[in-house]
Amino acid sequence: MIFNANDIQQAMARLSSAANEAKDELNEQDGKLGDGDLGITLANGWAEAMRQQLPEDDLGKAFLMISKSFQRACSSSFGTLVATGMMAAAKSTKGRAEANYAEISELLAAARDAMMARGKGELGQKSVLDVLDAVVSATAGLSNPGEMAAAAKQATGQTLDEFRDKLAGLGRARMYGESSKGLDDPGMLAFQRMLDGLLG
Amino acid sequence: MMKKILNDPASYVDEMLDGLTAVHPELYALPYPRVVSRASGAVNGKVGLVSGGGSGHLPIFAGYVGKGLLDAAAIGDVFASPSAEEMADCMRVAHGGAGVVRIYGNYGGDVMNFDMAGETVEFEDDIESTTVLLTDDVVSAKPEEASKRRGTGGMVYAFKIAGASAERMADLETVTRIGQKTADNCRSIGMALTPCTVPQAGKPTFELGADEMEMGMGLHGEPGIWRDKLKPADAITDEMMDRLLDDIPLASGDVCSILINSLGATPHEELYIMYRRARARLQDQGVRIAMPLVGRFATSMEMTGATVTICQLDDELESLLLSPCHCAFWTVMQ
Repeated sequence: MIFNANDIQQAMARLSSAANEAKDELNEQDGKLGDGDLGITLANGWAEAMRQQLPEDDLGKAFLMISKSFQRACSSSFGTLVATGMMAAAKSTKGRAEANYAEISELLAAARDAMMARGKGELGQKSVLDVLDAVVSATAGLSNPGEMAAAAKQATGQTLDEFRDKLAGLGRARMYGESSKGLDDPGMLAFQRMLDGLLG
Repeated sequence: MMKKILNDPASYVDEMLDGLTAVHPELYALPYPRVVSRASGAVNGKVGLVSGGGSGHLPIFAGYVGKGLLDAAAIGDVFASPSAEEMADCMRVAHGGAGVVRIYGNYGGDVMNFDMAGETVEFEDDIESTTVLLTDDVVSAKPEEASKRRGTGGMVYAFKIAGASAERMADLETVTRIGQKTADNCRSIGMALTPCTVPQAGKPTFELGADEMEMGMGLHGEPGIWRDKLKPADAITDEMMDRLLDDIPLASGDVCSILINSLGATPHEELYIMYRRARARLQDQGVRIAMPLVGRFATSMEMTGATVTICQLDDELESLLLSPCHCAFWTVMQ
């Protein structure tokens, strides 16, 4: 199966409505450990991205436009992390009008690595990087969209469960120490809400 | 209650920039709503020097755009990072064809957004850029974790010295090296007497008893080392000098510049009282002072308090520090 800019355009509409629906919940969850702007960050970022008419001849330019939408609409760190991931995808797909579903795991891995470098984060610190990493592993070697969706959802849910009672080790949440135990990481939760919105 | 001269907290930054550029149209331009550039634009063939960060610190950042200093600065809300897009626009505006140096203080949001901006202009516009991060605040991390320290008054020296290097048409590698050497040679410490209020928050950044001071406090009210009864000026200055000289030992014959900086509300009178003591301390050690700076160079709006920065100089850095510059807040004549 292949995908092109038109598929991404449709996916953005689903992501944007998922971000709007989850906005208050994510703001509240983020407010427990941070400054409480995660929901608004994602809603603004996807709304701005959705306003772009993606070019049909170059996925690299399409991902760059999404990255720049987040750079424009959000100055908070999570928005910049999304922009970083999209930029990594832009570099991997530059000059190509379409890509194969079998490449998605690699695109996500490139995004994960770029986000780790930008945010100076490591795996195991209870952040969005951990779910991303789990989804990279779960979707590696797959090319059927249905199988990939099921694997991604399963890996995301499992990672949230696995980290819920661990200490936060990254960003402002780290300052809260013990009280971060038992709370879902807001970035992980955001990933799950976006994924559910994307896959329906 | 918040007592400030403003119209609407949400328009504080934009109205400030509007006024700043209106007073000095010969110096500053506003090519984007949150990007201040030199009125004359980028200099062809010169390395562009950009900075950026939250508002509330004038003359840092926008004030230091000028000949022999910065080419452009990206401005965020009060104490908040500009967006990566604003920083990318800032770099494009400053690019004269010889690359761009991003030179700014080490704060998480600013670093992520400036790095993102650098990646974007490289991918989209083929602009080569480098980073110099100021990590001069000695209180903000131990010496073994010095790269995690925040940037404060050291930015003033870095803008000036790297700016002079760029103005002499040095290449990207050289301006970066000079900027980094300056950053490596700066140490700062702050102390505060009263807080400031972020307009959109409406309440003070911290609370301090009427007779108390806090030693080591950061530019945004980040916690310091101790909080106690206010001490005499010489005792305060001595402790600040002790902590700086512990971190960067200076020997007889060494040369440094020193900046006694008001956080906003502290008057020049009190800074001069501090300077005479700081000068005596350096002279006792046989250290020569080049171009001492006293005044408002890096502020936190109406915060009361001061920072002290030492910048150790070699011949190369001293010559660049003494070379001409001109902006609305600081002019060095030929």
